[in-house]
Amino acid sequence: MNVMGEDFETDFWKEVTDRATWDMIVPGELRETRPVTLTKQIIQDYARKVGEDNPLYFDEDYAKSTPYGGIVAPPSIHILLMFACTTSKDWMRSPGTINAGQNWYYNVPIRPGDTIEMRGTALDKFIKKDRLFAVHENLFTNQHGQVVCTGRGQTIRPV
Amino acid sequence: MSAQENFDKVQPGDIVEGRPFTVTTDTIQDFGDASLDYNPLHFDPDWMEKNDFGGTHFGGVIMHGMQNFALITRTLTDWLVPRGGYHRRLETRWIKPVKLGDTITPEATVSRKNPTDSGHWVQFDVVVKNQDGEPVATGQALAEFRDTIPG
Repeated sequence: MNVMGEDFETDFWKEVTDRATWDMIVPGELRETRPVTLTKQIIQDYARKVGEDNPLYFDEDYAKSTPYGGIVAPPSIHILLMFACTTSKDWMRSPGTINAGQNWYYNVPIRPGDTIEMRGTALDKFIKKDRLFAVHENLFTNQHGQVVCTGRGQTIRPV
Repeated sequence: MSAQENFDKVQPGDIVEGRPFTVTTDTIQDFGDASLDYNPLHFDPDWMEKNDFGGTHFGGVIMHGMQNFALITRTLTDWLVPRGGYHRRLETRWIKPVKLGDTITPEATVSRKNPTDSGHWVQFDVVVKNQDGEPVATGQALAEFRDTIPG
């Protein structure tokens, strides 16, 4: 079962024809997104499944004794949000999408109960040798309007 | 302990050793369930055997590249949190695909300290190596030593 505890189409071939190919990606256009509320359960299931075991994510008493003041999510939880906040028609789900590298900047930590919104675009697209690349840019904010993190990455698009 | 005192304790050359991680079908399934990334690159060995991607023939399923990212993050935050450091940035490049049975280990090295107008910043060089000592991912990270957590 996935960490969101909800039905999620794991067959990425379904709806494949609904997703933008490299030719159809328009840099600057917003991707369709939805807000996601991260419960403590989701945060901790995510942490366990990617190998995080720091008490900052699990032990309320310990977390309260640190400057964090309570349990937070591991910074890398945008790995989940990139899929949880997008729809099944999003081109990041196209089979054969190869991740070529990412950079992320972290501002405010995510806390249990936060509702996160994503703003995502393709920032750029280009061809290098015979490979088709898309550059994606994401901004995540919380329910207070604070920036949680921003990230940019490149994928090699399937042909 | 103040941010300044914590910052003073970090020295260029300090090494942050990560824990080894062995890739299995179970770890790939867990990562898929954590990330909702069920791309057949990571789950369909027949499809991977039959197809090339960007001119590369992988010949079998590959680990999610972002598993590297999560393991590097764990390595840095486990070291930073007790030292009063706040993980600010991570930039990664994937060098080589990671396959079933591979054991990968992240390592970060403090490369430079940068005091700014109002901050205390530390740069790290990051590398993830496989069991043969080959780099599978490289990157740079940035931490800030602060008295409070942003937000």
